[in-house]
Amino acid sequence: MISVQNLVKRYGSKVAVDGVSFEVDRGEVVGFLGPNGAGKSTTLRILAGFLGLTSGKVVVAGHDIQAESFEARQKIGYMPEAVPLYTEMRVVEYLAFRAELKRVPRRDRTAFVEDAMKKANVDDVANVLIGHLSKGYRQRVGLADALVARPPLLVLDEPTAGLDPNQIREVREVIKNLGKEQTVLLSTHILSEVEASCSRVVVIAKGKLVAQGTMEELQKKRRPAGLTVVVRGALEPALTAARGVEGISKVEVVETAVSHREPGVHELRCGWGKKLADDAVSRAVEQVVAALVSAGLAVREVRARRSSLEEVFAELTAGERAAAEEAS
Amino acid sequence: MSSFWPIFKRELFAFFVTPLAWVLITVFLLVQGMHFFLLVDHFASVGQAASDQTPLQAFFGNTVLLYVVLFLLVPPMTMRLFAEERRSGTIESLMTAPVSSVAVVLAKYGAVLTTYLAMWAPTALYLVILRQTGDVDLHVAASAYLGVLLVGATYLAIGLLMSAITKSQFLALVLTALLVLALFILGVGEFVTKEGTLMHAICAHVSVWAHMNDFASGIVDSRRLVFYLSVSGLCLFTTVRAVDAWRWS
Repeated sequence: MISVQNLVKRYGSKVAVDGVSFEVDRGEVVGFLGPNGAGKSTTLRILAGFLGLTSGKVVVAGHDIQAESFEARQKIGYMPEAVPLYTEMRVVEYLAFRAELKRVPRRDRTAFVEDAMKKANVDDVANVLIGHLSKGYRQRVGLADALVARPPLLVLDEPTAGLDPNQIREVREVIKNLGKEQTVLLSTHILSEVEASCSRVVVIAKGKLVAQGTMEELQKKRRPAGLTVVVRGALEPALTAARGVEGISKVEVVETAVSHREPGVHELRCGWGKKLADDAVSRAVEQVVAALVSAGLAVREVRARRSSLEEVFAELTAGERAAAEEAS
Repeated sequence: MSSFWPIFKRELFAFFVTPLAWVLITVFLLVQGMHFFLLVDHFASVGQAASDQTPLQAFFGNTVLLYVVLFLLVPPMTMRLFAEERRSGTIESLMTAPVSSVAVVLAKYGAVLTTYLAMWAPTALYLVILRQTGDVDLHVAASAYLGVLLVGATYLAIGLLMSAITKSQFLALVLTALLVLALFILGVGEFVTKEGTLMHAICAHVSVWAHMNDFASGIVDSRRLVFYLSVSGLCLFTTVRAVDAWRWS
């Protein structure tokens, strides 16, 4: 559905997108992930035919975006990041205008507009001036606009930006349903967004592609970061016991509310070498608990700490920073 | 070009829902009405024989009032066409729909030109009023209105181009006003430069003032047609190029 090969976009001397290549297949919901300023919007704008590209090749639904821009634009429902709308129009007027602009035949127009309003949950404000709508509604009007001509491909630039949690959940629900019939490429800088709606993810940072794959593949990059245990008893033997376990690289005492309230209760944070495999991690957890118990300590709580997707993301997008932290 | 109609209709809609449109039209018709009243009053008191002009000629020609009105009217009409869409970002939705730059430019131009003609339309009533009391040469009237159309079309094309090259409506307004004024002043140069010089020839050729006087007397000179059509065409062409150029900025 989308094929991007070696896409480069320069603004003067500044390189916004630097040799990005990825594919999106029919029927996929793909998350386009990256921190702010990574070049997400620029890439999507090029896909949508709003910006020209410096070099590379972009094919959308079988049409080269440069040679057949017109045909390509007809296949895309694009929702820009800022969701620009004509505020002086009513929702239904605006969508009818957009449907006509996108060449929906006259006899289908009313039905298509109503259908899009229903799918995007804006049918209750059909006759309200867009200027009077809240941010959440405007966002969904933008979504309805992307849907109205029933394009095979939807390109949504940060569809949930600026919404409250309830609205986010609603929009995600809409996107999930859309994914059943259409191919969707959506950009975001929020990982949980991708987890909630996407089957695959493409990660870019500083204009470069840093990772892509299914959610499972990305999940695998989540490493168990360590182990937190709460014990009651003498601190020194506990530290010695924990440090003695194979695979544990460092053990720290953490001051918590509990340890302040109850003397003799300590929270220990154990970290392990980065290369530890999953089963080795499980074994290390068992061994830490066993060692602590045999050292005469009462174990109250054991928590495995996994690095969050956010941490994986931070690592992927800022490789050098993570490396620096690891070295210290 | 099938994207022409929806954009054309939306532009008209967008203009007429703003109070600005109605203010402009009201002021325009008030000024023209007063102009007409004073002329008729004047002709009624001195008598037709005392003048070598008809009221119609005096209304359209040999008057600065026409340009003052256009100078005040055209810039606010054209300033928002592209500048507003670029400032608010709606240009992104517009240009990512399957539309061609030519259709967008022509639709916006067509809409503003239609508005301009709609403003002038009520002045046709003056002809009806004049015919109650005397003869009106309809050929001269047609020629005068052709002049109004050509001058307006050119000014509006200049305004459209100015709106396309800036994101600020205010800057578009100022630039348009300056260019319209500059073109007029260049024309006035006809009277201050020495006859026979190149400068004089240029000034005479672009003199909106002199052109309108001709049109108002029923003279349709093909050089004038070529001048206005080519300036409008050049502005429209440059606007299309400017719109295409945003993709690369």
